[in-house]
Amino acid sequence: MLLQLYLARYFDVRLIKEKKRGRLKGTLYSSHNQEAILVGSLFGLKSTDWISPIHRDMPAFFLKDARKGWRNPDRIGMTIQEVCAQVWGKAGSPGRARDNWSHIGSKKNRIIHSTSMLAGTIPAAAGVVLADRLNGGDALCVTYNGEGSTAQGVFHEAINFASVHKLPVITIIENNEWAYGTPNELGYSLDDFARRADGYGIPGLIADGQNVLDVYDKVMQCVEHARAGNGPSIVECKSFRAYGHGDHDDDRAAKYRPTEEVEAGRSRDPIAIMKRIMVERGALSPEDATKFMAENKGAAETDNSDFPPEVVAYLTEGVEFAVASPVPPAEEGGMWVFAE
Amino acid sequence: MATIQESPNSASAPSPAPVRGKINYLTALKEAIDEEMGLNPDLLCMGEDIGLLGGAFGVTDGMAAKYGTHRVYDMPISEAAIVGVACGACLNGKSVMVEMQFIDFISCGFDQIVNMTATYHYRTAGEVSIPMVIRGPAGGYGGGALYHSQMNEAWFAHSPGLKVVCPSTPSDAKGLLKSALRDKNPVLFYEIKELYRRKDIEEFVPVGENSLVPLGKARIAQEGTDLTIVTYGQNVYHCLEAAKILQNEGFSAEVIDIRSLVPLDEETILTSLAKTNRLLCVNEAPMTCGFAGEILARMAEKAFHLLDAPPGRITRLDTPVPWVKPLELFVLPSVAKIAEAALRTVRF
Repeated sequence: MLLQLYLARYFDVRLIKEKKRGRLKGTLYSSHNQEAILVGSLFGLKSTDWISPIHRDMPAFFLKDARKGWRNPDRIGMTIQEVCAQVWGKAGSPGRARDNWSHIGSKKNRIIHSTSMLAGTIPAAAGVVLADRLNGGDALCVTYNGEGSTAQGVFHEAINFASVHKLPVITIIENNEWAYGTPNELGYSLDDFARRADGYGIPGLIADGQNVLDVYDKVMQCVEHARAGNGPSIVECKSFRAYGHGDHDDDRAAKYRPTEEVEAGRSRDPIAIMKRIMVERGALSPEDATKFMAENKGAAETDNSDFPPEVVAYLTEGVEFAVASPVPPAEEGGMWVFAE
Repeated sequence: MATIQESPNSASAPSPAPVRGKINYLTALKEAIDEEMGLNPDLLCMGEDIGLLGGAFGVTDGMAAKYGTHRVYDMPISEAAIVGVACGACLNGKSVMVEMQFIDFISCGFDQIVNMTATYHYRTAGEVSIPMVIRGPAGGYGGGALYHSQMNEAWFAHSPGLKVVCPSTPSDAKGLLKSALRDKNPVLFYEIKELYRRKDIEEFVPVGENSLVPLGKARIAQEGTDLTIVTYGQNVYHCLEAAKILQNEGFSAEVIDIRSLVPLDEETILTSLAKTNRLLCVNEAPMTCGFAGEILARMAEKAFHLLDAPPGRITRLDTPVPWVKPLELFVLPSVAKIAEAALRTVRF
């Protein structure tokens, strides 16, 4: 888990550095400080389960089924090469760079293809597991959503439907306090988004989104609930968006958000919290805990020595593949409108 | 709690009756769904009130009992979720027929149709195709007022990745729906509710494979030599009536029912124009950015040299569809309006 947290963080850091170096263009949507939500929720899933990540969940594409080993060819998840090729807009992307950033998916790897429409894939998640059940499977689907997504009508429509048919859809609400430039108090009149579950008669759990073990524990409760045939649930993971909505927004975010709030939010770094717990439980020696100090730092303040070498090596393979991969031929822009 | 009794021989293919009478448009639709449900065990139906009730108009009457509630779903009043759930089921190997209770309500599911479903094949570079049909009762002339009279097909013809179909006869209703249910792409299927039970259009309709009508092939509803009238849906009948008026004036009109907007059979229209050299397009949707305008534009590009008169169009006024009769007929295309425009065109 700790290694996966490092990998998710390094993905973020590395892309920012690649962009600064001029090797990468486009907007980056950081998952910095929210990595525990992804790692903790993915860790206990079966290979055959589906996931539906959105823009702030980029590491989920290559962390899916990563417990088997990142490089394990039997893993049902995307490779780092595929994900990096997508970020770079290259032909090696699973979607051949037709839509940007996180707007990829994979039927084979059981990842629902995301769009820009928030909460827009929750109905599809319900449909996917409904079809799976009809086919005799027991797959569940974990969908990732910001708390901002909960204001969408389709969020309600889809979870309502899933609750009627007891479909195994676990809705993660990554409550990072900010929906782009709007703080939660301007968007919602309730403090705990988990309470949305009450409206559907389903469980709504609250997890400390900075504590990967707590996220794991709460999600696994929902997984067991779903596997027992009891249907959907919601897990609200309390977190904080460390930087801007996207990197284009970093400078403005530093102005529209109070400094004290940002500092407090960033202070609970999920890597540091995991290390502390491991040291307390004797799973990590205090010396080893200080070996790779990626926590509590912005991208510019880190270098490769702050991350375990296997993390740096794995990501470097992805980046080099992406850089070397060709841009798709222009005429592909006119292809695949209709299936033949 | 209400339950649906499943019939003992559920999920067996329908047995064709050896001798049959003429059937109406609604029965034709029902037969198409029944036959395809029997043939394709992966085909599901989802919509509001389609199971227990059998649909607001009865198009899915008996389907839940015959094929089971695991294949025919009574959905909550959530058009976006209906389309989205169907999309997810298609992503995972199913085909889904979605019923919109009235096509007017489709706007509630708009995003799921145009952004999620229509683009799926494109944005996955062909990895995923979504074999979904979204069908529902459409059209005016029945006093249905603003929210039960719409023809909003242009929204979807304007959204790449969707096929758009609109049958005007029982044979086409059945044959096109069967083809749509076998298509790998999402298809918007506009049923004309005023034709559902219309007596004078009942006809003999084949059973099984013989009833298939391909998408993208227009039908010449009436042959003629002096003017080509291009239309679809209920307006086909208004145009045929107008053609009779022209006949009395000594002109012969060819009436083309395009049957599908996307794909559009331009060839049939061009062939007709080469013969008649005059064009009038008719649709009951509003004028601005309506499909009649699209046909005019394409023909102006491709067949300008063939035209002996300015091409014209008759559409609804750019208004909603009002409720009470005189108001409704004032805004919609009528036989008189079509005949007048047609005569202007042939006399130019």
